[in-house]
Amino acid sequence: MKFYSQSFLYDDPWSIVSLAYLLRYPNPYSSHILSCDVISRDITPGGNLLTTRLILKTGSLPRWAPKGMISRAESWVLEESEVDPLGKVMRCTTKNLDHVKVMRVEEHIHIRQLENGQTLQTTEAMFLSGFGWGLTKRIENYGLAKFKANLQRSREGFFIILDLIRQSRRQPMTMGAPSSFLASHRALNGSDANAPAHHELATSRDSTIGNAPEDSPRTIASTSRSSVWGKLKSWLRPG
Amino acid sequence: MSQSLSEECTPLKRKYDACFNAWFEGYLEPAVSASANSEQRAKFAQQKAAEFESSCGKIWQEYRQCVQKAVKDKGLDVLLDQARAENPLKEPPPPPPLDKSRS
Repeated sequence: MKFYSQSFLYDDPWSIVSLAYLLRYPNPYSSHILSCDVISRDITPGGNLLTTRLILKTGSLPRWAPKGMISRAESWVLEESEVDPLGKVMRCTTKNLDHVKVMRVEEHIHIRQLENGQTLQTTEAMFLSGFGWGLTKRIENYGLAKFKANLQRSREGFFIILDLIRQSRRQPMTMGAPSSFLASHRALNGSDANAPAHHELATSRDSTIGNAPEDSPRTIASTSRSSVWGKLKSWLRPG
Repeated sequence: MSQSLSEECTPLKRKYDACFNAWFEGYLEPAVSASANSEQRAKFAQQKAAEFESSCGKIWQEYRQCVQKAVKDKGLDVLLDQARAENPLKEPPPPPPLDKSRS
């Protein structure tokens, strides 16, 4: 089994990060997401929201994969999430439903509000292959490497959604949502407009290799407004 | 908003998603405080559920029926039952302690 974990800190309130997380598809970086459906959704007696989504992703196989290892490079993924708006915590687990003999991938996301008003996201992923034929380790390593390589892209996509939500709170605009979505927007403090929006924490590490954390702490500034809108223009369609 | 797994459900999905998103935005910022007791929580839960039912209940039923049928037609219900049986995940587990990973 291989394991990966990373933490991320946002200056945004928990409600915005959680909203962005649930709305993250589609975005300009999510062309590998073919479909996304809610298959169950319930409110618990304590007021938490439980959601199960079924997502179809495409992927690619490594060149060394034996012929017929899997019949198609698509995978059904189950996403189970729980939102506690009073405790300001969101948990989300995703795992693949098919190709599980080749490899199981499970990802756990935990988003919670800190006392200082910032929001902490923890991402953990596990890769477990039971394939055998001397390929188990290689498959797990491949899964981990792919996951790491895709992380930056999925983050870019997520930040675009996050930025869109930030802006919808500041100015009237349409997101393809009904007007009631916008009626509730409040003028948030505009002072955060140019502040660094998120910080990568030093806790990133890769337990399988055992080397020093490769991601040193750094701050990523918000994508500039114009480039976000440029990307959005190519993505958002009227209607 | 992205596609549904079945083309015929996509229009329903879009309508449902739009309705849900509007409700969800308010749900994420409750007027109730975090220190609410279980009675206040129960009241909050009922109120939010009623709100959802009155604005999105109808479209949710239509969309859900469409997806459930599509899931069956594609044989995905078997896959889902298997996943549940192997790992009856009632709620996503909290992340394991950070130190445990270096083994």
